[in-house]
Amino acid sequence: MPMKLLDCDAGIPEREQHVYIKEAGEDTTKFLPISNSATIPGSLSERGCAFCGAKLVIGGVLKDTIQMIHGPFGCSYDTWHTKRYPSDNDNFQLKYAWSTNVKEKNVVFGAEKLLKKSILEAFDAMPTIKRMFVYTTCSTALIGDDPKAVAKAVMAERPDVDIFVVECPGFAGVSQSKGHHVLNMGWIHEKVGQVEPEITSEYTINFIGDYNIQGDTDVLQRYWHKLGIQVLAHFTGNATYDELRGMHRAQLNVVNCARSAGYIANELQKQYGIPRLDIDSWGFSYMASGLRKVGDFFGIQDKVEALIAEEEAKWKPQMEWYKERLQGKKMAIWTGGPRLWHWTRAVEDDLGVQVVAMASKFGHQEDFEKVIARGREGTVYIDDGNELEFFEVIDMVKPDVIFTGPRVGELVKKLHIPYVNGHAYHNGPYMGFEGFVNLARDMYNAVNSPLWALAGQNIQGEVL
Amino acid sequence: MGCSVIQKERSGIINPIFNCQPAGAQYAGIGVKDCIPLVHGGQGCSMFVRLLFAQHFKENFDIASSSLHEEAAVFGGIKRLDLGIATMVERYPDLRVIPIITTCSTETIGDDIEGAIRKAQRTLKAKYPDRVVHLVPVHTPSYTGSAVSGYNVAIQSLITTIAKKTEPNGKLNVFTGWVNPGDITELKHYLSEMGVDSTVLLDIESFDSPMMPNKDSFTSGNTTVEDIESTANATASIALSRYEGYSAAQVLEKKFDVPAVITPTPIGIRNTDIMLQQIQQITGKQIPESLVRERGIALDALADLAHMFFADKKVAIYGNPDLVIALAEFCREVELKPVLLLLGDENGGYAKDPRILQLQESVDYDMEIVCNADLWELESRIKEKKIDLDLILGHSKGRYIAIDANIPMVRVGFPTFDRAGIYRNPVMGYKGAMWLGETIANTLFAHMEFNKDREWLLNTW
Repeated sequence: MPMKLLDCDAGIPEREQHVYIKEAGEDTTKFLPISNSATIPGSLSERGCAFCGAKLVIGGVLKDTIQMIHGPFGCSYDTWHTKRYPSDNDNFQLKYAWSTNVKEKNVVFGAEKLLKKSILEAFDAMPTIKRMFVYTTCSTALIGDDPKAVAKAVMAERPDVDIFVVECPGFAGVSQSKGHHVLNMGWIHEKVGQVEPEITSEYTINFIGDYNIQGDTDVLQRYWHKLGIQVLAHFTGNATYDELRGMHRAQLNVVNCARSAGYIANELQKQYGIPRLDIDSWGFSYMASGLRKVGDFFGIQDKVEALIAEEEAKWKPQMEWYKERLQGKKMAIWTGGPRLWHWTRAVEDDLGVQVVAMASKFGHQEDFEKVIARGREGTVYIDDGNELEFFEVIDMVKPDVIFTGPRVGELVKKLHIPYVNGHAYHNGPYMGFEGFVNLARDMYNAVNSPLWALAGQNIQGEVL
Repeated sequence: MGCSVIQKERSGIINPIFNCQPAGAQYAGIGVKDCIPLVHGGQGCSMFVRLLFAQHFKENFDIASSSLHEEAAVFGGIKRLDLGIATMVERYPDLRVIPIITTCSTETIGDDIEGAIRKAQRTLKAKYPDRVVHLVPVHTPSYTGSAVSGYNVAIQSLITTIAKKTEPNGKLNVFTGWVNPGDITELKHYLSEMGVDSTVLLDIESFDSPMMPNKDSFTSGNTTVEDIESTANATASIALSRYEGYSAAQVLEKKFDVPAVITPTPIGIRNTDIMLQQIQQITGKQIPESLVRERGIALDALADLAHMFFADKKVAIYGNPDLVIALAEFCREVELKPVLLLLGDENGGYAKDPRILQLQESVDYDMEIVCNADLWELESRIKEKKIDLDLILGHSKGRYIAIDANIPMVRVGFPTFDRAGIYRNPVMGYKGAMWLGETIANTLFAHMEFNKDREWLLNTW
């Protein structure tokens, strides 16, 4: 049976519909795990909240913007020091966490005055900063504040500031994914079209769904620069607030993360007629094919081929060195969603690594269609996996390395399985040609650490 | 001249000093063995906190969520809570305690937690007649207090729900407050040297957990249900922290006549002396020669540092209030000058804290204590040149203040994710005083070298 009820899920049999093992000759028209549906309480799901999807993933990347969290200070504290997205602006976006510090009396009597005061205080404290995102959270959404009215009033009082409000409490939707959607749609409807970008090239794009994890944006920006392509807006790696207001002038939207930012690409297509081109920015063959697609669009194939040749000459020998040594290794990917389909074929083609288990926290049906189409037979595909399922799947597939978050990484360490940070990377960037060499290096070093062999030895029993 | 206690004037927060109440409650919950806290709220309320604990301890901790979605926000979340409890008990056969930790959403909705617990207990009893699972209500709306009060509320509720009077056990309850595994090791060492039979609450020494050859070591707290039950049968309780656990000791005093003693948080030589003498007084067990020697070793080490390197160096300290106050007292012992203390929550009682009153009486230079503070209180003072610091003592959330202003900083408290293994070292006790002094010294030395600031001083020492 391709849908699989794991032993640990005997008491929650509905989980059978979320776990799939691909068999020969099957495709996703026959079987597709249920996804983006309500979490089972108490299952020790890995999911986060919608607020996280909006603030931590997308909005918080902006390098010139105050992120005012309207609620008790925990939501602000929690989405601070949890990401590795640097900027060329002295990492302003990593250093600060703002909160309106909602108290019980505000929950009873309303928190709009408090919001206004906190907004003004924050601008006063950082007078060079003129842009702000305001996020509602569970408590301020429940009490029914009107933060948009407050933002409007502040902007009327201070014409040099601009504020964007994201109404995305943690209980909205079933996962982070809801927050991506709310932010995307709010931004296109309220902010895009307000700033006219300065056009300096005959080729212009928006690069959508890349958050400059460990400098990913920098790597890709070098490629665009070499091709003579002007990126009007990176959504949102190393970006400014006003760059994102000028997205409507690009000739092409190039989309990497379709899950978190496909919405805005679709809207830009609908409202401004800008075509959407999806590419994969991880992996040699994918990156090359992505660049070729962009080259075809602009008719600059020669430049693209020259760039690919140059990059491959530079990085291929190192990649081959790792490929020889990683061939046949078994990998699991337990991340948010899209990296499953970005990576599974890429590591197989470029490194000969087999992806034997994949779990997505917030992927939708279309993500599972892609990943199952690209993934191997016999591989386990899980939606919204939980801890006991992970243990059971590890026993089934025995991975050599797991790409996942640091907390799960600490868990599997006890089982003597190395992890590589699949969210924030170990030593990235991982995008582009050089990035995938970094990924290969981190995987190689993780798998071959001498510590694993030492950990397995019992000095009481074995004669060394 | 002197020590002034003031309040932050801004109403908003820029860079909070600690997390909200449910996070503190979760920290208490993971300290109990065979226990998985269930956070009743949105998924972020537990997911981020699990990440935070993993960042600090480099370990995984199990915490569940009731995964509140929209319909629950409208119609109430009790159904989600029921499902959560049922799922956890079914899938984790060894589970014995579930602290049910509320959040701002479920407190605003007004879910009847106590009613839900009564109902769930009836259901569990019918389905699992041979199992006892303690369901502990922990009311921690995020819009009140902070992680500090959340820890306090949770430990108090664990005691209130589980402690049970039977036969006197002759033990001493030790409520440590929010500490690290290294502190627990040190405290247990003292109790063992003195021959005191004790229950350490919560015993989180095991948060520093090994990789074992048979792969069977997973990280959890070490305080058992039996430990908590028997706190009611102890000779006395000693609380090492006024704001983190003392009220649980007071519950035992009120309910079961177990006398509660509060001692200054044992950071620094004098505070450790007082703690040991109080334990001696309560239990009648003598302070042994071995501890006099350990004290002497610490003093011997600190004397090499104090007036040569530390004297008059200005220090800012932030973090959990008991930690900050006790660190300030330690600094004064070794001639460092704490000039700014940041206490990061709205607790109105700090101005009456006897330790702060004592500082106000004794400080003969300018010192500010900011209540309800955030880290912007520190950063803005540095940027506006209102303060000139030689050292910052605090947790990793303030790292960029130190980095950008090029001020040496020693990581202490929670979380300390940007340094390796901090949690393994004690700050409490004589060994803690020595570790603090030597770490401060080595940090200042490295700073002198990297900044070419009288690095030649260390050419001979």
